[in-house]
Amino acid sequence: MEQTRDASALQVDSSKFDSTWTIARKKFMKRKLAMISLIFLIFITAVSFSVPYITSTDIERIHMSETNQPPSSEYWLGTDRNGRDVLIRTLYGGRVSLTIGLTSMFFVTLIGSIIGSVSGYFGGWIDNLLMRLTDFILTIPFMVFVIVLNAIMIGYDKVTGMWSLIIVFSLIGWGGVARIVRSKILAEKENEYVLAATSIGCKPIKVIGKHLFPNVMTTVIVQATLLLATYIVAEAGLSFIGVGVPPEIPSWGNMLMEARQTDVLQNKLWIWVPPAVCITLTILSINFVGEGLKDAFDPKTTK
Amino acid sequence: MFAYTLRRIVSMIPILILISVVVFSLAKLMPGDPFSGEIDPNNTNVEYIEEMREKLGYYDPLHVQYTRWVKNVVQGDLGKSTTYKKPVIDVIKDRLPNTIFLGISALILTYMLAFTLGMYSGRNPYTVGDHLIATFNYTGLAIPQYIIAIVAIYFFAFKLGWFPSNGSVASGLEKGTLAFWNSRIYHVILPALTLGLLSTASYTQFLRNDIVQNSQKDYVRSARARGTKESTIYNKHILRNSIIPLVTFFGFDLASLIGGAIITETIFTYPGIGMLFVDSVTTRDYPVVMTLTVLFSLLTLLGNLVADLLYGVVDPRIRY
Repeated sequence: MEQTRDASALQVDSSKFDSTWTIARKKFMKRKLAMISLIFLIFITAVSFSVPYITSTDIERIHMSETNQPPSSEYWLGTDRNGRDVLIRTLYGGRVSLTIGLTSMFFVTLIGSIIGSVSGYFGGWIDNLLMRLTDFILTIPFMVFVIVLNAIMIGYDKVTGMWSLIIVFSLIGWGGVARIVRSKILAEKENEYVLAATSIGCKPIKVIGKHLFPNVMTTVIVQATLLLATYIVAEAGLSFIGVGVPPEIPSWGNMLMEARQTDVLQNKLWIWVPPAVCITLTILSINFVGEGLKDAFDPKTTK
Repeated sequence: MFAYTLRRIVSMIPILILISVVVFSLAKLMPGDPFSGEIDPNNTNVEYIEEMREKLGYYDPLHVQYTRWVKNVVQGDLGKSTTYKKPVIDVIKDRLPNTIFLGISALILTYMLAFTLGMYSGRNPYTVGDHLIATFNYTGLAIPQYIIAIVAIYFFAFKLGWFPSNGSVASGLEKGTLAFWNSRIYHVILPALTLGLLSTASYTQFLRNDIVQNSQKDYVRSARARGTKESTIYNKHILRNSIIPLVTFFGFDLASLIGGAIITETIFTYPGIGMLFVDSVTTRDYPVVMTLTVLFSLLTLLGNLVADLLYGVVDPRIRY
């Protein structure tokens, strides 16, 4: 009995206990569907972002002699109405679509987390004000305001290409994250460790950043995954109906836009099927990864 | 209930004011003249624009402009469309019935499909049919609406020729005749199905889970013990309880239909206000864009209000 009182015996051998992240990683790796999806996502991201270094094909160039060619050994997925290689354009499109999705996800999560944490931590009139603002952001029809704001931004020629859409998404997308983070912080800040941190003189920013936020991080990550899917879908949808990314930039939505011509939709499958398949597979994968993460972070699941 | 309704409506006022301020600021940011539509957007003559702006009060103090705009909107004076050369309100009046028709058709199809599939799944959980329906739901939820729309047009309109791929009615039919309405219904089915697919999928899955959960409860066991017919148990006892949460979704549907209608109408070139909105953005017809933004926001607010009120109506346990 004496030995247990020994200081060294009380020391926890941390190598035997897994951290939240290790547990989550182990649980996640056991999910086949989520792992396959993750590998697919990494693959498509890697290929899309490295395509300018692999091939020297100029995607802007128009080949009038090779328009609308069906798939062949030279053009694996055929060419579009300007004679451009569909395969390479699809990969470039992935670059644009994924960049918009990832960047918007980053900013939305960042803004939402900051507003949610501040609102939840300080409470009082700050909370009241920020939450009314959040209510407002969540009430307005997302699609409508994205289209209007994007049209205004593009009209001014100050921001070009995909940045306009990223800014618009970040401006009005953060409502959901803010609300979730706030509710989590509200529950978390009642814990003793927060009281301890404040009583030894930690500044609010340190309490939130160092003590509170890591504890709500898992929720934020799951939420961010779902947001990534939302923004990729939104970007492609907006570009598809002609109010998203300017048409000269090859995004998946802009490529899909070709399918609005009856002739292309009916007879030239190779032009619109690749981007459609890419969007679908990417969205499905992101959703599977999201579900996998949700289960992996959930302490109630043991598998 | 009445007091709550009143309170709920009053609480919308600040949001309404905020929306009007935001829309007004957006309009001020737009190039040209989104309020009256009197300035020809194709005329780039600087003197002409200055003169027109002076005349239309573009340089008045902001609050004067704002009050004038709000007053005009309330009186139904929404400016003139630069594309159609007629008052915005008339342009919208032409298109609005189509969108309402599409929305109602989508809702009817959604509820019909969701109830049939959901009740089947709920009664026969963990069977092949249930798994098939679950797969269908997951696909419907995960795949973007517009891709489903394109594929639907490709198969049902082009390959099978069952439905038309665009428009809202065949040309040359007289308004109000039976053939006219037949053609309208025929044209609306495919867009309505795609528009309603997302809610169909979530309703079906929700109803299924709720029925499965409810069928474990005591009141079902006692009904069985009394010898109640199985179909009566499911169609009367359980359904009545499972319907409650579904009804409350109705209000949110109104809001999600708006976002969906913008894309769906454009794909099917269905001449409703969703397509009008996209067209107006593309042609820079800002008076129409502004008006539709206000209209869509109002509809969303209304949807949320309906959802909140329905909670109380269908579930007597909720007291205000």
